[in-house]
Amino acid sequence: MQFNNNDSGSSLQSEINITPLVDVVLVLLIIFMVVVPLLMEGYDVDIPRASADTSTPVAESQLILSIGSAACPIFTPPAGEGIPKNCQVTLADQKIPVAELPARVAAILGGRPAEQRALFLAVDDRLNYEAVLRIIDLAKSGVEDLKIEFVAAN
Amino acid sequence: MRLGEPARMQAAINITPLVDVVLVLLIIFMVMAPQMRKGPDVNLPNTTKPNSQGDERGRILVSIDEAGGLWINDQPVAAEHFDETLRAAVGAETNPKIVIRGDAKLNFREVREVMVAIEQTGFRGVGLIAKRAGAEGK
Repeated sequence: MQFNNNDSGSSLQSEINITPLVDVVLVLLIIFMVVVPLLMEGYDVDIPRASADTSTPVAESQLILSIGSAACPIFTPPAGEGIPKNCQVTLADQKIPVAELPARVAAILGGRPAEQRALFLAVDDRLNYEAVLRIIDLAKSGVEDLKIEFVAAN
Repeated sequence: MRLGEPARMQAAINITPLVDVVLVLLIIFMVMAPQMRKGPDVNLPNTTKPNSQGDERGRILVSIDEAGGLWINDQPVAAEHFDETLRAAVGAETNPKIVIRGDAKLNFREVREVMVAIEQTGFRGVGLIAKRAGAEGK
């Protein structure tokens, strides 16, 4: 028996095979270079047309969600996730706790064809921006393809 | 090695330096990635399910920082020059997409005023950029 492994044909390979590691790292590098820094997420919204005349009557089918600062006093970024419990919003002239919003929006708009699913938002100016986005997020979780449009708050 | 026996040829390429270089590049890109964004550092609002707004390239970024200062792409803009700067940024693009990166601490008035200013230059739809709760990023 030969103890000198260096001379035998089937010598043990003591080095780790790092070729797969290199492959994976290269792919990771490419992903980080190309994709990560530039992706954004958010919400598509429509802006009220300030120049249009406001005398046109509001269509019956328009679903208006009002967020007032009296019923929903959030003036600083809400901590954690979700909306504080003390927030109430007005959906189609009915005052509801904000937690019920997804179900209500789904009940009203769920039966309509996708292109008619629009929610008109009247938001008080003093509210915190993050809170407004979270309420939009909540409303959008009720139905798919919900269009959001801002209207002037009363 | 015994005398008379030729030294064994090493057929495999030595890829250790390659691995070193690639790992360093990877770390550099991981660290630099958040700083490559255009515009100021904005503490974006946290929401649970924001939709994809696609790639930052090809979008016109309107940022509103914590103090209410306006930025178009990476240039700070005074409110009175907002309209013409935005038109210049749009240039000859036929179908530009405008996104608003607003700070979480703002109140809605400041964002609404920017939306009205954008509307007055002739755009109706904007994207409001948020970040998924728990995700990193500026």
